Amino acid sequence: MELNEKELIANLKSDKGREQAFQTLVKTYQERLYWHIRKIVINHDDTDDILQNVFIKVWKNVDGFREDSSLFTWLFRIATNESLSHLQKQRRHSVVSMTEISDYLSNSLESDVYFEGDDIQKKFQSAILQLPNKQRIVFNMKYFDEMKYEEISKVLKTSVGALKASYHFAVKKIEELLKEDYK
Amino acid sequence: MKDKEKNIENLFGNLKKGQPFRVPENYFETFPDRLNARMGNNKHRDNVKSLFVTLKPILAVAAILLLGMFLFYEPAKNYLMLDHGKIALNKSNKDLGDSTTAFPGALISNFSEEQFLSAYRDMDILESKTLTSDNLADYIAANYSYYEILANN
Repeated sequence: MELNEKELIANLKSDKGREQAFQTLVKTYQERLYWHIRKIVINHDDTDDILQNVFIKVWKNVDGFREDSSLFTWLFRIATNESLSHLQKQRRHSVVSMTEISDYLSNSLESDVYFEGDDIQKKFQSAILQLPNKQRIVFNMKYFDEMKYEEISKVLKTSVGALKASYHFAVKKIEELLKEDYK
Repeated sequence: MKDKEKNIENLFGNLKKGQPFRVPENYFETFPDRLNARMGNNKHRDNVKSLFVTLKPILAVAAILLLGMFLFYEPAKNYLMLDHGKIALNKSNKDLGDSTTAFPGALISNFSEEQFLSAYRDMDILESKTLTSDNLADYIAANYSYYEILANN
């Protein structure tokens, strides 16, 4: 069934169809949002927690959604911000001495029981984790999710030019890291 | 630019583009139920605005008033006080006549020639570097009664 976004938003804002519309929203976007968050925080349990927080935030704040952007963009923006906040919290509350968030994420990847990639993919993911957070998100959205720069621009509120530069630097860095690995 | 992007895409050509991560079995099927369980009865919306949002206009007005007070009221008050001070001083000159608390101009105008010369001599003694105990005794005897001397000791 084709989802009518305008109708869905209207129902979410109404008292009558709110509950039903929310269920539809969760079922429609949970998977895409999950993978978006998972690629940022790596760990499944953290992803699960953040995804629930995202939907709770949507439920509570949908009345304030001004519809300047699409529902998808709004959801992705919340998910991105929640994920980045989570990483910041991890950095602040980390018990072990952790200078870089990439170290923490690499450790998460190493111990992740839900990672089923081969060695090459693990090296590839490790290289991606060496990127700064924002650059990593741009790379994931462009490379894995195959999103258009215009779409990414709306989610991250960054200019298309800056995103292109960011993606370019990300690719160069990953390439260098992979070459180092294969030497 | 398009070619450049194509080259970038080809760099990782040997890698599987698919997701290397997986999720627990039936994760997405059970997610809505777990979300509902967590939300439970707390499904109320944030219709009630936060205290800050509610107080925001009041705080803004208060901030503007404070700013206005610092920028305009305080300088104006200082200016007016200065003006009032002058008026009050002039008034006190008239009221107090030869009182010692009056404006110096009024004191001088109310002094007789003898009083002025006497005060000048006194000042001369006080400012003199060779102030002797005799000078001091003379000054006290001339200017203070016995009662004042005893009361201050």
